[in-house]
Amino acid sequence: MLTDDELERYDRQIAIDGFGKEGQEKLKKARVFLAGAGGLGCTVSLYLAAAGVGTIRMVDPDAIELSNLNRQVLHWTEDIGRLKVDSAAAKLRRLNPNVKVEAIGQKITAASISSLTAGFDLLVDAMDNLPTRYLLNKVALERNIPFFHGAVYGFEGRVMTVLPRETACLRCVYRGDIPEEKTPVVGVTPAIIGCIQAAEVIKHIVGIGQLLTNKLLIYDGLTMKFTELKVKKNPDCEHCGQLVKDKK
Amino acid sequence: MSVTMNVPSNLRQFTGGQAVVECDGKTVGECLHDLARKFPGIEMGLFDSEGNLLHYLDVYVNLESSYPEELNKAVKDGDELHLTLFTVAGG
Repeated sequence: MLTDDELERYDRQIAIDGFGKEGQEKLKKARVFLAGAGGLGCTVSLYLAAAGVGTIRMVDPDAIELSNLNRQVLHWTEDIGRLKVDSAAAKLRRLNPNVKVEAIGQKITAASISSLTAGFDLLVDAMDNLPTRYLLNKVALERNIPFFHGAVYGFEGRVMTVLPRETACLRCVYRGDIPEEKTPVVGVTPAIIGCIQAAEVIKHIVGIGQLLTNKLLIYDGLTMKFTELKVKKNPDCEHCGQLVKDKK
Repeated sequence: MSVTMNVPSNLRQFTGGQAVVECDGKTVGECLHDLARKFPGIEMGLFDSEGNLLHYLDVYVNLESSYPEELNKAVKDGDELHLTLFTVAGG
């Protein structure tokens, strides 16, 4: 049940066709797991909290450094040295006290991912490395919960949404590992990509619109072009191939 | 066969900043080798030491992935190719 305060706070989105009080109630009940409190994580959490997602669990082991501040907009100069999840949670609680924000300053590992994600309805991938992204993709497939992928490089970014057993997964698109390097990035890129991820999450919870499934949306900020690439399920995919065979 | 090649930003240092260039070839591989001929140095961002397409690079032909044929995938005049780098940073 929405309170009078919530009805007023979310008045403009409740007014959207197909959203309504029912959609807002769904957001209030939703439990979103967010992996990463960096550039993408800051943007995703900011807009999910503003929209009234009931519970957001943020997981990230890192502390804030000066070089993070060009893009990780929930972390400010006075936060340097603080855990990113604590800094983000503090800002989000001030933005919207109705939202329960859980801050966990841990690394996501093969051993910990199951307990960390237990009880959550959706996984958002705002990580900074491929092995952890693969872990998230896999656990989403095992749990049959949606997975929202985003990644950035410089002025470029990419987004895709995975609905287990129905659509292509991250492993259908990515192959092998990628050499680690210091990645260049300007703050507007994770802001744009994170906003698209947040929009996908909100649409999925409310049940309106179309999702970026079986598609990889590529954003090129230098040419200001969005390109929608078609993605197909790989029947031999290491992560989702067996699920498809089991379904048959 | 002339195709349009969309170049990702990390390789545009070799194309003089051009995001879109024209290439010739009957397959994805021929088009990429033509790209390398026109823009020396770019091959380091396309192929591994054995001449295979880098595993973290994907080529889309008319918005569809060329995987698993990749370099052997046939192209025709007027096709549009997108080179995309597997990006993993979270900002």
